[in-house]
Amino acid sequence: MKRIMTAALLSALLAGAPAAAQDTKTTKIVDKPLELTIHMHFRDKYVWNDDWPVAKELTRLTGIKLKNVASKATTLSREAFNLLMASGNLPDIVAGNELRQDFVRYGMEGAFQPLNKLIDQHAPNLKRFLAENETIRKAITAPDGNIYWIPYVPDGKFARGWFIRYDWLEKLGLQPPQTVDELYTALKAFRERDPNGNGQKDEVPLFFREPDTELQRLLVLWDGRSSGSDAAHDFYVDSGKVRHPYTGENYRTGIRNIAKWYAEGLIDKEVYTRRARAREALLGANQGGMTYDWFASTASYNTSLKDKVPGMKFLAIAPPASPSGKRLNENRRSRMRPDGWAISVTNKHPVETIKLFDFYFTPQGRLLSNFGVEGQHYDMVDGKPRYKPEILNAKAPVNAQMWDIGAQIPIGFWQDYDYERQWTDENALKSIELYEKGNYLTDEFLGVSMTVDERQVFDRHMPNIQTYMIEQMQAWVLGSRDVDKDWESYNAQLKKLGLDQVLAVMQKAYERQYR
Amino acid sequence: MADAALDRESGGGSVRILDGVIATPELAAPPAISPTSQEYGIRKAFRTLLSDMRRDWQLYVLLAPMIIWFVVFLYTPMYGLQIAFKQYSLFRGIEGSPWIGFDNFVALFSNEYFLRAVKNTLLISFYSLVFAFPVPIILALMFNEIHHQGFRRIAQTITYLPHFISAVIIAGLVINFLSPTTGIVNILLDRLGFEKIYFLTIPEYFRPIFIGSNIWKEAGFDSIVYLAAIAGINPALYESARMDGASRLQMIRYITLPSLLPVIMIMMIIRVGQLIEVNFEYIILLYQPATFETADVISTFIYRAGLQNNQYALGTAADLFNAVVALILVVSANWLSRRYSQHSVW
Repeated sequence: MKRIMTAALLSALLAGAPAAAQDTKTTKIVDKPLELTIHMHFRDKYVWNDDWPVAKELTRLTGIKLKNVASKATTLSREAFNLLMASGNLPDIVAGNELRQDFVRYGMEGAFQPLNKLIDQHAPNLKRFLAENETIRKAITAPDGNIYWIPYVPDGKFARGWFIRYDWLEKLGLQPPQTVDELYTALKAFRERDPNGNGQKDEVPLFFREPDTELQRLLVLWDGRSSGSDAAHDFYVDSGKVRHPYTGENYRTGIRNIAKWYAEGLIDKEVYTRRARAREALLGANQGGMTYDWFASTASYNTSLKDKVPGMKFLAIAPPASPSGKRLNENRRSRMRPDGWAISVTNKHPVETIKLFDFYFTPQGRLLSNFGVEGQHYDMVDGKPRYKPEILNAKAPVNAQMWDIGAQIPIGFWQDYDYERQWTDENALKSIELYEKGNYLTDEFLGVSMTVDERQVFDRHMPNIQTYMIEQMQAWVLGSRDVDKDWESYNAQLKKLGLDQVLAVMQKAYERQYR
Repeated sequence: MADAALDRESGGGSVRILDGVIATPELAAPPAISPTSQEYGIRKAFRTLLSDMRRDWQLYVLLAPMIIWFVVFLYTPMYGLQIAFKQYSLFRGIEGSPWIGFDNFVALFSNEYFLRAVKNTLLISFYSLVFAFPVPIILALMFNEIHHQGFRRIAQTITYLPHFISAVIIAGLVINFLSPTTGIVNILLDRLGFEKIYFLTIPEYFRPIFIGSNIWKEAGFDSIVYLAAIAGINPALYESARMDGASRLQMIRYITLPSLLPVIMIMMIIRVGQLIEVNFEYIILLYQPATFETADVISTFIYRAGLQNNQYALGTAADLFNAVVALILVVSANWLSRRYSQHSVW
């Protein structure tokens, strides 16, 4: 035994790739090379590519080669997936983004293999991960009790936060607002007292780049909610009960106040039409005062607008406390994306495939899927992966570079936030730290998987309910209608549109899945 | 007028514009009553067709690609229409999905927001027909009266140009023009002492904005077909009118407009057939939840319902409904036109 080991080590040294040769021993899944077909079309423009450095390394480490069958010609991932399902000609593995409901639905119809037994017997790392993360296991379980897919598990905590012009606060002699009342005072001062000093009342105290989803985050300041997950207008769970954020007294109070702020000019008057360009335009014109947006990209304006707006300090403040004293940051990085992969019913090598899925939850698999290939894209420094300087200093953002080599793609893998921390702006890190210290993280509702009958009830009522809800919300915010006058008819109409039935279905699915 | 009278004499009762070569006297004969003679007629027609094909085979070869295109892209997909009556699953396929009768239609028509979308679609189309349809005709008449060639060409080019700009850019222009703080419209209102208006969030303004900007975008281009028709009018008619001392307005009224009538009627029938369709992309770009009340049309309704859960069966049901309504509209417009103006597509 010893002699063989020595021989192996020696030959490895001679081959000149010491680190590479020894680790394949633990990662090899098959002795003879095995090729599996995969359909993976994602984010409307990428397909699985066996030329990716990461894909080649995967083959070297495990012995399994994945061959893409998705057409590069399509520019809609959804269409590519639909065509695949309609053709009935399934490859060994199906992967991609936004496929959660499809994996469950078509899994129950017999397109994908149930993975429970396979995980139990052949995937120790995945099994441990699911045991340690009960909620994720429950969230991916289908109504029939089976697991049909392995999700992409993001890492990190905070996504968006409240950013304010600290330099304006200082100029006006104000402290960073700690409560919603102090926030009102500060925004009012932004509006009235000309903090940009150009003599005109052109300041826009609050602006939102994504008004359909982010404007509602203000509701949290009055103990309301705007969504329970990182999808817009989603349900949330309050002590075991599924509820919709756009109902109840707190919602009414919140909307009443948001409408007041809008009427007083504290919220961008053009918030619903300015949209995507709002942040860049209003910060660049030295007119925007505060927003709710992604940490990294928002903080980066301090650097990119340094010359245009001298002295700009646009940094995060802790979420202001609501009247009941709660500080909550609603938006977070999801613990589970609706992306991932599944094993088709026609796959002749389910054991090898589940072992491949398991590989992504081993330390080597995580390094490969997060950072790329060692020596090529990163080096180990003090036991931690560090990107090579040419990657960190390249013009393209690191995540885009990773996609190009086949890392950080929406297969069933476990993200490591350290990959992002390495290239996040210092201002953003400071801002995130503030939120981490305060522990403002909200618990997230990972959604339910419905049976066919439940889904039918949901599909029949929910699109109308949501249309009505957001239609009313905008009318109230803009002041064309009055929330207090409409409140009774609003609730009556929601009842008529079937909100109670939808909530009942959600509750039933929730209890089956999470208890 | 003279043409129409001539045709009435020939006994057909209508001008068969598209029949052209095939309209032999046998085919145009009134339908026979007894079944045997009807069969005889069909058989005879078939034989005539065969001999025609043998004689003019080059023409039929030229026609073939278009017929193949119709069969492959318009008739074959009709097989899929059955999913409107099924609980459709992509994986199970069209045959494997269970029949559910009219459930999808019941779901559509018991939905007050779908009905609102139908109403909005018809209203937007109807107002477009009333306000936008005459504009290219008027524009063509006006171009025709410009006698300075250079000026006329420049004016025409300027009015065509917006047609080639994509809907995204037009929507951007509209949003900017109507912006409450920096938009030119609101600046004007402000200067004139009026209140500024956030137009795009007020339901009452949606239809005028949508139709108005569409007129600006398409009127110039749509006028081309009328200009072509005007160019085809016999100049002798104008000469003799001038000899009789007719004014320019009289010439427009008694020569140009009557000669344009067949084209106008055909364009009208085509437009009526499209009543149920509106420019979906452009609406999506301009509407807000706040304006759903007047802006939400069938296609945007299906888009939102479909996006959430891929409800193909429901979408197909709505499409089938659209097609049936469009068919009824076209047939009745054609009938009305034939009845009152003696011009029709078939």
